[in-house]
Amino acid sequence: MKVNEWCMYCGECAGVCPRSLIEVRETCLIFNENECKDCRICIQVCPVQALSKEE
Amino acid sequence: MSIKTDILVIGAGPAGSSAAKHAALNGAKVLMIDKKSEIGSPKRCAEGVSKEGLKALGIEPHCRWIAKELTGVKFISPNGTSVWLNEERVKLPEAGYILERKIFDKHMAMNAARAGVEIMVKTIATGLKRSEKGLIVTAECMDQSFEINAKIVIAADGPESRVGRWAGLKTTLKPKNMESCAQFEMAGVEMEDSNSIEFYFGSVAPGGYAWIFPKGDDIANVGLGIITTQTDKTAYQHLQEFVSNCPSTQNAQPVELNIGGDPVGGMLKKLVTDNLVLVGDAASQVSPLTGGGIISAMKAGVFAGEVTAAAIKEGNYSQKRLQEYQDKCEEDMVKTFKKELKVKNYLLSLSDEELDSIAEAFKNTEFEKINTKEIIKVLIKVSPKALLKLGKIF
Repeated sequence: MKVNEWCMYCGECAGVCPRSLIEVRETCLIFNENECKDCRICIQVCPVQALSKEE
Repeated sequence: MSIKTDILVIGAGPAGSSAAKHAALNGAKVLMIDKKSEIGSPKRCAEGVSKEGLKALGIEPHCRWIAKELTGVKFISPNGTSVWLNEERVKLPEAGYILERKIFDKHMAMNAARAGVEIMVKTIATGLKRSEKGLIVTAECMDQSFEINAKIVIAADGPESRVGRWAGLKTTLKPKNMESCAQFEMAGVEMEDSNSIEFYFGSVAPGGYAWIFPKGDDIANVGLGIITTQTDKTAYQHLQEFVSNCPSTQNAQPVELNIGGDPVGGMLKKLVTDNLVLVGDAASQVSPLTGGGIISAMKAGVFAGEVTAAAIKEGNYSQKRLQEYQDKCEEDMVKTFKKELKVKNYLLSLSDEELDSIAEAFKNTEFEKINTKEIIKVLIKVSPKALLKLGKIF
């Protein structure tokens, strides 16, 4: 997952991740990419489009 | 390093500070941690609270954290027709104060500290496991990793709560139950009445509404919440459109941007398990209609603090013992939340034209003189089908 520079670490992505794979720190997001099933709900809900999938 | 405490509160927002304070006041040894370096910042909130709510909590308004006292509410339909309600004439449940959350949250944490709570900032919980005596939370502060042994954990870690999930509670929200919000704090906002909050309904904010909450004569929180399954645009894109189209913000400039999720689907079904309770946004203790959650979070904090402290005294931290907390929350909130959910679903089922018709019908109404029957008559005229969704709310 690519976390763009303008991410504000609000945590909305973590709140909807069905597998609880996102850890929100004060100034960074940590994704557990190995367990990700690519549902992209986190990308969908981000209020500022800060997340994108690295193809 | 290892720390031992009776109660560990994770998250120092209004819910966490309230829970921590009341647990300490009732005799428990309490540690509260927060991942942020500054409690209350950045804010993720429109900052409105009701006067009644603060009063019920026994909190005296303080000039340091009250930005504005409100006397009215204005509802604006998609074509700009407005309906005014004034506190002098009608009892307004959401009218009250606009807070300065960055100061308010710190003030509440300071009150918790004065009650005997130990506080650690810039400290994040990274995991949780069970032990014979309770829970062991792994945590990090700067370059230090350590364990916190707690008999009970109060998870107040917001809508992104992971702590509850670690303990086996279902806190993950579906996107339809999470409002995606974006807000500017702006200067130069031209409000018709800077003592009234304004709500804008319709396609301006699919699945939610837009708001202008005044914080000064020309200062306001201007924001909106949307349900992302109902639009292709982000909350921020909708906000930009709203600000460029709204007459009040034509000459306004942003001084702050806030974003975040608001859990508006109603309170979670299960708030407790052995040794752990959920409070605040982590428990979705938010009004499904307004998205407001400060008062309900703090009330839940009081319940959580009192029940967990009593459980500590009794040496019983089981789910069965902690169920008292859930029962209190259900008694206090669930009935209201269910009603609000019906009203919200009703409002969201209306088209822009139907919202305009309602606003037109009520724009000159003296609400203190109108009864429920007359209101229903108007709503039936607008859309009998949509009114069915309200069910037996009246």
